[in-house]
Amino acid sequence: MFAVILLPALAVPLVLALAPRLGQRVGYLVGAAPLGSAGLLAWLAASTGSQPRVILEIPWVPQLGVNLSFLIDGLSIFYGFVICVIGVLVCWYAAEYLGRKYAHARFYSCLLFFMTAMLGTVFSNNLLLLFVFWELTGVASFLLIGFFHESDESRRGARQALLVTAATGLCMLVGIILLGLSSGTYSLATLADGSLSDYKDGGWIAASCVLLLVGAFGKSAQFPFQFWLPGAMAAPTPVSAYLHSATMVKLGVFLTGRIFPIFHSLDLWFWLVCGVGFFTMLFGAFLALRSNDLKAILAYSTVSQLGFLIGAYGVGSKTGIQADTLHVLSHVLYKGSLFMTAGIVDHCTGLRDVRKLGGLGRYMPVTAFSAAIGVAALAGLPLTTGFISKELLLADLVDARAWVWFALVALSATLTVAFAARLFFNVFTGSKPEALSVHRPGWAIQTPPLLLALAALILGTFPGLLDGTLNAIKVAGLHGEEPIHLALWHGFNLEVLTTALIIVCGGGLYLLCQKSGWKRAEIPTFLRFDAAFERGLDGLSVFSKRLTLALRADWPPAYLPIVIFFLLVSLAGTVAVSSSRFFEGFSAIDISLSPLHTFVAVMIAASLVGVIVLRRWTTQLIALSVAGFFLTFYFVLYRAPDLAMTQILVESASVVMILLLLSRFPSSRLFRSEEKREAKGRIFRVILSGGVGLVMTGLVLFADRHSHPDPIGPKYLELSKPLAEGTNAVNTILVDFRGFDTLGEITVLLIATLGALGLMMRYKRGRAGNDPAPAPGFFLEKKRRP
Amino acid sequence: MQIETALLVGLLFAVSVYLLLHKSFVRILFGFVTLTNATNLFLISMSGDPDGKRAPILAEGSGPIVDPLPQALVLTAIVIGFGLTIYLIMLLYRIFLDAKTTDASKLFLPEADDE
Repeated sequence: MFAVILLPALAVPLVLALAPRLGQRVGYLVGAAPLGSAGLLAWLAASTGSQPRVILEIPWVPQLGVNLSFLIDGLSIFYGFVICVIGVLVCWYAAEYLGRKYAHARFYSCLLFFMTAMLGTVFSNNLLLLFVFWELTGVASFLLIGFFHESDESRRGARQALLVTAATGLCMLVGIILLGLSSGTYSLATLADGSLSDYKDGGWIAASCVLLLVGAFGKSAQFPFQFWLPGAMAAPTPVSAYLHSATMVKLGVFLTGRIFPIFHSLDLWFWLVCGVGFFTMLFGAFLALRSNDLKAILAYSTVSQLGFLIGAYGVGSKTGIQADTLHVLSHVLYKGSLFMTAGIVDHCTGLRDVRKLGGLGRYMPVTAFSAAIGVAALAGLPLTTGFISKELLLADLVDARAWVWFALVALSATLTVAFAARLFFNVFTGSKPEALSVHRPGWAIQTPPLLLALAALILGTFPGLLDGTLNAIKVAGLHGEEPIHLALWHGFNLEVLTTALIIVCGGGLYLLCQKSGWKRAEIPTFLRFDAAFERGLDGLSVFSKRLTLALRADWPPAYLPIVIFFLLVSLAGTVAVSSSRFFEGFSAIDISLSPLHTFVAVMIAASLVGVIVLRRWTTQLIALSVAGFFLTFYFVLYRAPDLAMTQILVESASVVMILLLLSRFPSSRLFRSEEKREAKGRIFRVILSGGVGLVMTGLVLFADRHSHPDPIGPKYLELSKPLAEGTNAVNTILVDFRGFDTLGEITVLLIATLGALGLMMRYKRGRAGNDPAPAPGFFLEKKRRP
Repeated sequence: MQIETALLVGLLFAVSVYLLLHKSFVRILFGFVTLTNATNLFLISMSGDPDGKRAPILAEGSGPIVDPLPQALVLTAIVIGFGLTIYLIMLLYRIFLDAKTTDASKLFLPEADDE
């Protein structure tokens, strides 16, 4: 099991080592990894064939319910095979497609990494594990879309794909967690066996269903997330064929199938899945009809067909799922083949614009043949798997009596026929335009699409060949009990009639458009969600740049007021919210003033006013130190002799240091001119500082009325003598009870000293040398340059 | 007692913020010193009304004693505030040496890059 998943990833070092020597031929070697995985998978399928479901579990984070738990059943084996087999063909194709100048090692490493992530996703039993692998596929897809990272288009496409799939993936994670919390398990197998009614609900089940589906829709490019898939076409064509049509975008379909047994009983399942699926089908077909780039047409048709695949699960909630694997298989075969032929056309002509192509059938008959079958299957013509699959879906819709969806599907199928016809006739038939230069493709590059196309043709002509396989990979809870029996001709019924009508109308539409020269073949801007998405992203970065500039985090005069303002707002907001508690008892405040305290307080206030209004810095400093010394006295009034002593010492030392500093500053004339300039904005400063003062006064009064019922201070007093052998409680707290805090305090002082010392020493050293001193902080050194 | 302290704390904070919002280094420094004092006073006010109580020294007298914990905290705060003040003084001096200005608004301006 682990070998199946890890084999591609383990091959990465080998590829890295050999790629420089082998050049582009390394692709054939890389193909051996998925081939090996496929072989192991076949062995695994054979050995577990008799059991409907096997679970392998290794504990990883069992406390959180996250385990390396793998589920082997029909669905995972089916998807595993698709990934491996198409992987082999894509490696083969890529070996021929990629020119010499490509970074082969990087390309194939990403591809192998992707394969491992994909295999991990489809085999995960634990939903959280599935999420991990799911996001890894997104990362691999990002790397591969952005493979030509020199190109702007590639980078944009890669970014869109990553953002959309990762954002929807996060929604999915929320859904997974909600589901896990309601049900108590993250195991898909347990969830599939359980019933929704047993879970704790409270609306969370429906929410998690919607969120999981959002994840699926994002990955499978369903409306309104469809825009990332055409953008992802900037990737090399083998990647488009593999990730963006055959495998990764199928993950949404896969997940819908996986959670079908859990959620299908919900009413909203039918409406949401059918609605989004079939609407996307129509929308995608419409956009495909209006595109001109070969790969864009194919991308939008993929969007459309994915809508079909997902919608089928919605219908299935009424009629029972029967042929979902057939739908997927059919799409993989013809879309993979079509992408590869588009790549060949691009390779041989250097063009992808349908309007400039034509008459290529003569130069590449084999490719034209593959394309013909692919297009026929896309349009749902008989003798191809596309026909069988579409008939079955129409039959389901008839059974479910869902006529609205029936009409939507029929309409989009008609559009599909029209652009499918264009894809073939306008590229491979008719006359070759003069300007077009073609070189003939080699056999090796034409074989992979041919194989896929032949499979679509043979299985479409003899659908009975699939009966055994489809019945063997049935999954309990997802598929119905009755065995599947496929046949080319089910008798003359409504579905056949509709198909005939679709083909006729589609053909008519094609001729009509052909006559008008595809004038309207341009997607209107308002339908191009990617443009809006990009504008939004650009807007976001412009906004954040402007905000940063406006706040000026490197310029104190700009950001200090902001910080203080928000401090004020948050404090005042807290007060406002709890105003009743805050103001209770304010009337009971003792407003009697004691003369001594008032005298000291007034003296401090007077000297502070002096600091503000005095003009010369010397007098300001005197006023400041007067305030400091009166504060010492205030500490004495608070019965704190130690504080008073410390304050006197500190105050004296500070004044000396400030004097030292200020004596080195320029003369006070300069200050007066500064004073004049600072007159601006004085009112603003007064309001802001007044607000802070008011809030702090309020806080003191508030704290005064609310004391803790069991304060710790008296305990220190009691224990001071017996435990610390000291009578001064403040001292015993500092050196005994909270000794480590004091150690921290001393450390702070030491660091401050070292910092101050460093500031001075670096300057002296810098001046001694020739270079100007490397100054601390931003931009300072720039200021020093003349 | 507490009403004077509350008003005084408010005034100290208001003055310090007012000074801090200036552009002159001297004013910013004075604002910082005042802010330290304001915070210390704010902390000590948490020990409640000291009237009728005695200092937290057990040896002498009897009667209620003020809460010693805020005093211990403020003692630490004073010392750390002093350390920070000294550091700020050195920092301002160094910036003055480097940038040849005592005006905070002339520092870090984008125009300075063009010079």
